[in-house]
Amino acid sequence: MERPVLWIHAEALGPANPALQAHPGQPALFVFEPGLLAGDAGPISLQRIVFLYECLLELPVTIRQGDGAEEVLAFAARHRADGVVTSAWVDPQLGEIAAGVAASLPLQVLEPEPFVVLPQPVDLRRFSRYWKLAGPRLRPDRAETDTFS
Amino acid sequence: MTAPAPLPDPTASDQPSATDLAGMPLGWPGHSGDLPRRFPGREALVQELAARFPEASGGASPIRGGSKPALAGLEALDPVRYASSRNHLDGAVSGLSPYIRHGVVSLAQVRDLVQQRMTGGPEPVSEKLLQELAWRDYWQRLWVRLGDGLWENLEPLKTGHPEAAYAPGLPGDIDQGRTGLACIDAFARQLIEHGWLHNHARMWLAAYVVHWRRVRWQAGARWFLRHLLDGDPASNNLSWQWVASSFSSKPYVFNRANLERFGAGRHCPGCPAAAACPFEASYEALQAQLFAAPQGEAN
Repeated sequence: MERPVLWIHAEALGPANPALQAHPGQPALFVFEPGLLAGDAGPISLQRIVFLYECLLELPVTIRQGDGAEEVLAFAARHRADGVVTSAWVDPQLGEIAAGVAASLPLQVLEPEPFVVLPQPVDLRRFSRYWKLAGPRLRPDRAETDTFS
Repeated sequence: MTAPAPLPDPTASDQPSATDLAGMPLGWPGHSGDLPRRFPGREALVQELAARFPEASGGASPIRGGSKPALAGLEALDPVRYASSRNHLDGAVSGLSPYIRHGVVSLAQVRDLVQQRMTGGPEPVSEKLLQELAWRDYWQRLWVRLGDGLWENLEPLKTGHPEAAYAPGLPGDIDQGRTGLACIDAFARQLIEHGWLHNHARMWLAAYVVHWRRVRWQAGARWFLRHLLDGDPASNNLSWQWVASSFSSKPYVFNRANLERFGAGRHCPGCPAAAACPFEASYEALQAQLFAAPQGEAN
């Protein structure tokens, strides 16, 4: 991918966004989609929109309203891009937009630094089971031990 | 040789003023339909967005977006004070949740800082704050695994009531802050005006909606999601399920003593319902009143 555009989504609105870090200066886009953040529970309140907007003003990103995948593809076409770079997401709604983009253009997904790396599969039935695995890997004394092991 | 660039005209309208709210400049041309990135001030930004998003209710939160307030919150993090006071409405909570939810700061960034501050002094420091970050990671992992299954009961309710006993929609007096209960109405107003609530207030409000008013947790979860700046279906819905008892071994309830102890003493004095407070009872009495099935130990 030589001339990508960047798709910035609502889970990575900071300067540490891996796509912005990897491709500084490349055209980047954020789209306010209908149903953004709350899906069927929406529409989200104005205070949530203002908060997102204030985050977006700090980033080098074009802001638009409309259908997510359509807007990303149209933005890519305007910039004669040969692909789209974004960061990993959790919200399945973002996954649908990503699939719509990937159907027409190469899509590269960059992973942010994980909070904790756990052996798979992780038992998530209760937090206590997760913490039994995660706690020892997160406590600072463990981190120090790792440094010298 | 090219002519020197003209000096900027200080009276030109595109020069930022002291109150100007200008986005970072873009290195590519704009296009018709792009949303504006410069406003005379915050009020103008809010007006513009209200016009562009007519379906969105309310105004602006006093909590601002962007990395500056997020970094100030990071700087103020104190694992010791957090551990000793976090359950109190006036406790030293971080207020970072909206910034973490939207990746303004990453969970890994906060983790590094907390770990650093846990090892700074001679005494061992509580890991409560680290654990609180882990809760978010845990919720996110469950979201990946469950997808939209987050909107369904993960386990049967332990209240003894059938699902059909719960109303599908949120009663109007709750989201309008007109229940007549000073605490509940204050929490509802804070949710709508600030987009943020202390975790304990979220639990009290959720317990009131689900157990005292017998409303389906999904109705409350949708209400929170529309307003909370940190709202995401994982931490939100699973916490509602924890209160409701579809993701815990028993329903969560509170009583007046609990609210007075942790509520900074600001709700009960002057409450119009103080003489007939629905929360004024022992846990045993409340469980007998609210649930049809025998419950485990009091919360």
